[in-house]
Amino acid sequence: MPKITIDEQEIEFAAGIPVLQAALDAGLDIPHYCYHPGLTVVASCRLCLMEMKMPHPKSGELGWAPKLFPSCQTPARDGMVVRFNSETVVTGRERCMEYFLLNHPLDCPVCDQAGECSLQDYSYKFGKPESRMVDPKLVMPKKDIGPQTLLYSDRCVMCTRCVRFTKEVSGTSELCITNRGTNSEIDVFPGKPLDNPIQGNVVDLCPVGALLDKDFLFKQRVWFLQSAPSICPGCSAGCAIRVDANDDIVYRLKPRFNPGVNDWWMCDEGRFGWKYALSDERITTPRLRRGSSTKTPKWEDVSEILQYRFSQHVDEHGSGGMVVVLSPMMSCEEAWLLLSFMLKVGPNVTAVIGPILSVGEDQAFPAGSTGDETKFIIRSEKAPNRRGLEMIIDQAGCETLSFDEFVESVGDGEVSAAWIVGGYPEKTWVPKALEKAVGKLELLVAQDLFETKLTAAAAVTLPACAFTERAGCFVNHAGLIQPFESAVAPPNGCHRDGQYLYELAGYQGLYTPDRVRELMAATMSQFADVREAAPAPVHLH
Amino acid sequence: MAWETIDRNKPVTAKEAAPLLTEAIKDKIRVFFDRYETKRAVLLPALHITQEALGHVGPQAMEEIAELLEIAPSEVFDTIGFYTHYWTHPKGEKVVVACRSISCQVMGGDEVLEACKKHLGIEDHGTTSDGKYSLMTEECLAGCDHAPCLLINEKLHEKVKPEDVATLLEDANNDKIEMPRSDLYDGPPGGSVDSDSKAADAPAGE
Amino acid sequence: MADYEPVLLKNISLEGSTDLKVYESAGGYAAARKALKMTPDEVTEIVKEANLRGRGGAGFPAGVKWGFLPKDREVTYLCVNADESEPPTFSNRVLMEKDPHQLIEGTIIAAFATQAQKAFIYMRVEFHEPFHVMQNAIDQAYAAGYLGKNIFGSGFELDVFIHRGAGAYVCGEETGLIESLEGKRGCPRIKPPFPAVEGLFHKPTVVNNVETLCNVPHIIERGAAWFKSIGAEGSEGPKLFCASGPVNRPGCFEGPMTITCRELIEGDGYGRGMRSGKEVKAVLPGGISMGVLTADELNMVMDFDDPRNFGLLGLGTAAAVIIDQQQDIRKVLANITRFYSHESCGQCTQCREGTSWMDKIATRIADGVGRTEDLDLIVDVTKNMGMMPGLSICGLSDGAAFPIRTIVQKFRGEFEAYIAEQPPTSTLRVLSTFN
Ligand SMILES: Cc1cc2nc3c(=O)[nH]c(=O)nc-3n(C[C@H](O)[C@H](O)[C@H](O)COP(=O)(O)O)c2cc1C
Ligand code: SF4
Ligand code: SF4
Ligand code: FES
Ligand code: FES
Repeated sequence: MPKITIDEQEIEFAAGIPVLQAALDAGLDIPHYCYHPGLTVVASCRLCLMEMKMPHPKSGELGWAPKLFPSCQTPARDGMVVRFNSETVVTGRERCMEYFLLNHPLDCPVCDQAGECSLQDYSYKFGKPESRMVDPKLVMPKKDIGPQTLLYSDRCVMCTRCVRFTKEVSGTSELCITNRGTNSEIDVFPGKPLDNPIQGNVVDLCPVGALLDKDFLFKQRVWFLQSAPSICPGCSAGCAIRVDANDDIVYRLKPRFNPGVNDWWMCDEGRFGWKYALSDERITTPRLRRGSSTKTPKWEDVSEILQYRFSQHVDEHGSGGMVVVLSPMMSCEEAWLLLSFMLKVGPNVTAVIGPILSVGEDQAFPAGSTGDETKFIIRSEKAPNRRGLEMIIDQAGCETLSFDEFVESVGDGEVSAAWIVGGYPEKTWVPKALEKAVGKLELLVAQDLFETKLTAAAAVTLPACAFTERAGCFVNHAGLIQPFESAVAPPNGCHRDGQYLYELAGYQGLYTPDRVRELMAATMSQFADVREAAPAPVHLH
Repeated sequence: MAWETIDRNKPVTAKEAAPLLTEAIKDKIRVFFDRYETKRAVLLPALHITQEALGHVGPQAMEEIAELLEIAPSEVFDTIGFYTHYWTHPKGEKVVVACRSISCQVMGGDEVLEACKKHLGIEDHGTTSDGKYSLMTEECLAGCDHAPCLLINEKLHEKVKPEDVATLLEDANNDKIEMPRSDLYDGPPGGSVDSDSKAADAPAGE
Repeated sequence: MADYEPVLLKNISLEGSTDLKVYESAGGYAAARKALKMTPDEVTEIVKEANLRGRGGAGFPAGVKWGFLPKDREVTYLCVNADESEPPTFSNRVLMEKDPHQLIEGTIIAAFATQAQKAFIYMRVEFHEPFHVMQNAIDQAYAAGYLGKNIFGSGFELDVFIHRGAGAYVCGEETGLIESLEGKRGCPRIKPPFPAVEGLFHKPTVVNNVETLCNVPHIIERGAAWFKSIGAEGSEGPKLFCASGPVNRPGCFEGPMTITCRELIEGDGYGRGMRSGKEVKAVLPGGISMGVLTADELNMVMDFDDPRNFGLLGLGTAAAVIIDQQQDIRKVLANITRFYSHESCGQCTQCREGTSWMDKIATRIADGVGRTEDLDLIVDVTKNMGMMPGLSICGLSDGAAFPIRTIVQKFRGEFEAYIAEQPPTSTLRVLSTFN
């Protein structure tokens, strides 16, 4: 690997990256605004400047060149010697930080970005405590630039990341710059607001509190938030995300760097589409039904009850008519535990993958791009784990049916017992034909987030948890296995699916995805070493 | 301070509004397509032509230009705001541009500007109520040898004295240059080809 | 310089100097015919040999620039920089208004040398008369077959178009010019890549100033040795100088780069001295961007090197504005700070914020609310901007730093005297109203 010397430290770097990236990769905190690895380099904020050794034009001797260079624009080369710790660099940076704050309203107490703002952090670390300006500040407007997003121009440092994002990544070009010089502002064409399926990323990209998410506006001080790494269940892309919560309440989702999958981005559907988890219509307790009377069993009895009901059913009808409908919203671990249980009670059980909503075609950004030009794709398959279920069912070698065939078989009276898992954000996922035929089942267990015709008819109803409350792994459209952690506790009284399925499958103690994957790995080695997406580089705000 | 927010979600142009760019204007713009590798490069000429025809380039005209050049309206908005010569709101029939740079200042440009303001009763970037004149200041017009300078539409007025301003602004022909001209951007087509209006009176090296 | 024979301005007093026939009867287009019989490399070699340094401000040798074009290129563009927005510069205007065919001929030769088939003359929009004169001359040249296909039967083909700007000084910066030509805001590009490798529409592009190109026909016609015989080593060839302000004969003059600033102001062939009752206080000799000279520094030679000995950035546009003793130096400073604050494109933090901050300070000083520490502050700000120290993308910010810094430094006594005369309450006012 090529090496570069930064501040007397020899550092290895991946060929083809700028010095700044090499420094950041090595964990150095080099302040920068306009540079973002996912966007073109404009080298305009002039904050990442460095000194560089160059051969003297006459003597050829290597020495510090008498000027500064933007480290974001300078490709790292083997043997290069640069520094960020010299007097010139340090004072230059100090001045630059002073400039950024000249016209800034210093309204950090009411700014959502406070606490994760690189203007705060850099000023603290690289700036000076006071400004030398005694003249009036320029006042810039606040703008409502789109259904989801606000712009407080006052706080903008004109890094143009947001503009480049809409040009280069979303390809929608809503954002632009108006005026020039010190009067430059970010703007949209009046009446053509920032409104595209991945627009939320501009808020993440904004290094300061200029672009704000209306959904999160004034909701929380960020230092109260705790983050859990997760995977967005919105589609089969498998975007790595972070769930930010406080006190078991989720406040926002943010993308995590996940090279080759979602890189730095996520779509708005995923970003804002998790609110169903907060609904107070959620099923939170198990429920038993005999005829028209219902009863809430104790959680500790649930395993035994289910065991009993299925054994009894198999005793009476055999396991030939027994079906388990695994939901593509389930984690691999959950699906594997449930299938293990079903196979144990009824070796001839048929496995079915629940319905998978497909919306249009895969949506590439920028629109119409192909191959390397494509920066982001929203998948048409609106479920996170079809591939995972296929792997598990394949390995189990059981009979399978498509979901449509299953619905038909129920209608034809060929299915006697079924465990049907839902867990979809939409309460309307159950097809009419199934609703109609559900009475023909001798035994129905329904596991879901919300009440449906199935849960109403089921002998046993079990609550499902939202992905923010669960832990496990999903296999994305390309077969990549990605783990996610739970960010919050399930609603009061509710147990995590993983936990009760773990007990049901005959295991003792606390469910952990690691433990289950170890068990799975005995027959499916892919699950032996499931890792986090690359941790978000520290420098990315 | 009041918490005022500009709402950018509201459309500023009516959906069914009649187009502002006539076919004739568009044809004039299309002439430029062949010159450049991209249609976007025609933006500056397109804005000049549109401003010449319509007086200013408002949001609807920007959208129509964007459509013609196959770019986003925001890209027109982005470019137009960078340049001082384009007007996004109505201006007067004649624009008086007073040079405010150093040579003109040294030669009394400030007084000329004051005289203009006083005579027209407007400030920088203002327009007279009868819509005849707009006034703006600009940096050096490259006429410093004849400072102070005033540009009225196409016509550069040199060595302007404050006391001449009133007469100058009353002159109906104060914006016309008489010379063979090209009709590519502005003005009437044609014109005679062989007259050269300016006598060679500039000092030459000797 | 009584024996100086004008080259660039030799035609301008001819009757009908803008006409093709007049130009030709004065020997015009002979150089283009000659050049098109050579190979492009031969033409480039002669221009290199002549050491024709760019007249647009940076002084980079034109032949060397042409030589940077990649060998395997397919399309090349030539951009003629006619943006001329540097106060108080007007020599390009004179060249275009009075002798448009000289520029066209230079353009043909440069395009041939660089194998460009399209040339764009980027002209500031305020140039109305020059535009019409140039456009007519171009039309005449097309009609005569000097532009278009198969020029002079050589097989060489060239189209020349005028592209009018829209009011932005920074579009004179060569990459700002290219961006503007592409229909965008005129924000200068980061370099590398340089335009010669990736310029207009990502194609190899040469940008040359009007005056630079006007020299080319003469070099081809009379040879590199003749060219180098004018002026002094490193500053060869004829040069246009401008003088404005209260001199007896403001104007655009031609001479060798051996004249001093004093000669430009006082010489008989130049400004012919100050108007009666006026005395020199200061001179900004290279356009405003190069910095200021005091009345004691007028022996500076107007060449590419000497200005540095006076703390200036360079020769610049060789256009001098003379400031007389009656002028308030605070107003001069505020005029200049306003210019850069108004014209900064706004990409680079140091330039965007620095120029506007300095303008606030200078305007406040001019309003009689200055503080002595403001003078140090301004100087400090000027030291934290500029392309040369690597702090910004383009030279506009160097151009801002030099005049502002040199004015404050060289006239510090005057500023301090003004500040000392302010009523004592005025500085208090600064702190109370603004904080
Ligand atoms: C802010 C700025 C403004 C400039 N304006 C002009 C201009 O108006 N005309 C010009 O010829 N060069 C101008 N230049 C210089 C150009 O960048 C470039 O060096 C020149 O056009 C090259 O031509 P030359 O080599 O023939 O001089 C400017 C440079 C800067 C930094
Ligand atoms: S709004 Fe944010 S991302 Fe956009 S230019 Fe300003 S600081 Fe940068
Ligand atoms: S130095 Fe100034 S004018 Fe030049 S690119 Fe930077 S901000 Fe723009
Ligand atoms: S991060 Fe390098 S200049 Fe902005
Ligand atoms: S300073 Fe006014 S025209 Fe140049």
